[in-house]
Amino acid sequence: MALLPILEFPDPRLRKVASTVTDFNEKLEVLIHDMFETMYDARGIGLAATQVDVHRRLLVIDISENKDSPLTFINPEFEVIEGELSEYDEGCLSVPGFYETVSRPRVIKVRAQDQSGKPFEMTADGILAVCIQHEIDHLEGKLFVDYLSSLKRQRIRNKLEKEHKKSA
Amino acid sequence: MAIRTRAAAALILQKLLLGKGSLGASLDLHREQNDYQLLQEMCFGCCRWFHQLDFLLLQLRSKPFKRKDQDLRSLLILGLYQLKFMRIPDHAAINETVDASDDLNKRWARGLTNAVLRSYQRQRKELEEGLQRADLPKRESHPEWLVSILAQSWPKQFEDILTANNCRPPFTLRVNLSMQSRQQFLDTIDQADIKARAGKLAASAVYIDQPLPVSKIPGFFEGAASVQDEASQLVPELLQLTPGLKVLDACAAPGGKTCHILESEGSLTTCIALDRSPTRLIKIEENLERLQLEACLLCADGNDRDSWWSGEAFDRILLDAPCSASGVIRRHPDIKLLLTPAQLERLILEQERLLETLWTCLKPGGLLLYTTCSIVPQENQAQINRFLGQHNDAKYESITADWGVECESGRQLLPSADSGTDGFFFSLLRKL
Repeated sequence: MALLPILEFPDPRLRKVASTVTDFNEKLEVLIHDMFETMYDARGIGLAATQVDVHRRLLVIDISENKDSPLTFINPEFEVIEGELSEYDEGCLSVPGFYETVSRPRVIKVRAQDQSGKPFEMTADGILAVCIQHEIDHLEGKLFVDYLSSLKRQRIRNKLEKEHKKSA
Repeated sequence: MAIRTRAAAALILQKLLLGKGSLGASLDLHREQNDYQLLQEMCFGCCRWFHQLDFLLLQLRSKPFKRKDQDLRSLLILGLYQLKFMRIPDHAAINETVDASDDLNKRWARGLTNAVLRSYQRQRKELEEGLQRADLPKRESHPEWLVSILAQSWPKQFEDILTANNCRPPFTLRVNLSMQSRQQFLDTIDQADIKARAGKLAASAVYIDQPLPVSKIPGFFEGAASVQDEASQLVPELLQLTPGLKVLDACAAPGGKTCHILESEGSLTTCIALDRSPTRLIKIEENLERLQLEACLLCADGNDRDSWWSGEAFDRILLDAPCSASGVIRRHPDIKLLLTPAQLERLILEQERLLETLWTCLKPGGLLLYTTCSIVPQENQAQINRFLGQHNDAKYESITADWGVECESGRQLLPSADSGTDGFFFSLLRKL
């Protein structure tokens, strides 16, 4: 059991594309457990393996206030069910302290495998749909700041780099 | 991904302060979250008490907030709201709010947030006494311009109106009387341990004591009842519906009144529900489907008559006109932040145009019911007076009822702390 360090933008490792999970073993279970612990500790609602420098297609999510509804998605894929976009002020544990409005499809259908490798499907809307899309982006090396204007992105990059220098 | 309830609430409030979006639409995105209730309570409360809390904030920090710091101003308002109105222990409210300044990426404001909230805590007594000496708009937390309109229009009632606007609205249902009697419905929900009472004005109205999710209401998904304020439930009776009539509901979304019209009279020849917003039209469809009713849905701007009207005149037209919604502030407290005098002017013009256009679609002998959920006379009786002055073929039919205030050319329900209904205006016109 351990808290994992979370990579922060503009760390280039956040840009790696993750590869498929093939081994459903004890090591994976430990990683999932640690990712939940790390996410809860950071008061996040979703965490992709990429953010803790593990480049495998795996994400953990819990959008409940009581932290009692953990969801694990392994090798997730989604299709858009409703093309209508909805806006949400997204934040990210890898871009701490910044919240910006991002538009994404409102309703999606997700296919993934659970911890034991069993495939499942679910339809998601609202914040869950936002969160799943946000996390799957991480697996592709993509961040929510990529949806912003380059000016805004640069501003965020500068501020975070300054913070990183200060704490280094 | 990261979210924070307090930062999210501050961002929603910030959007409203910048005149963007609406509280309902912003909150909708958070509906799936388990902290939704807390978020909702905070956002509603901050809007409801904004003008008062902002006055208090001004005593604690006189320096005005820059445009880019409206999120911070919102967060401080939220901090004060928690200290003054919520049952969160002070230390928790302050700590969480200070932490939320990080979430807004305003780490520099941690000290400021802490200082403002702690000085409120320390000087609470003096500040609250100062507030009691402040003018009415501050004390009752309303924009000044709106208070002066209301004071002028309703000199006897306006203080009661302001108080009522700050109350939590009742949870009112419309029983589907085509399925069962109101008493049968009351018996059914009583068996489900839901405490309720019958409304006094509308035959279909039921007030539920404790708000609850609609899924808990027996028979809701089968169409036994719908959520609707009692004032709106007075509409079908006033329309004097009989079999065979052609009816138009001109600004129909979300369809509550359309459905009620169809529940009241099952043998209309035509019932057209018109609305210009395609997304809101979907709401009408959902409501009709749940209640197993049928209407002809048209997506068009009522004013653009050629785009939707077949040329066949209607026996009854309901014009529930777009309005300031000043009668439903208790349900939509963001109106206090969003409504401006300029907007009010635009709405009055729009109402005028709709009245003019729809009047041409009414059969001689037919009735047009003009309603708004406003309590501003310029949108209501003044609007109708002007119309009557310009149309010789229009006759005002007075509404005999024991509710509301009788005006020169209509009947006005005012929000009041002891009565249940929203503020609402009705005027019935007959075409000669």
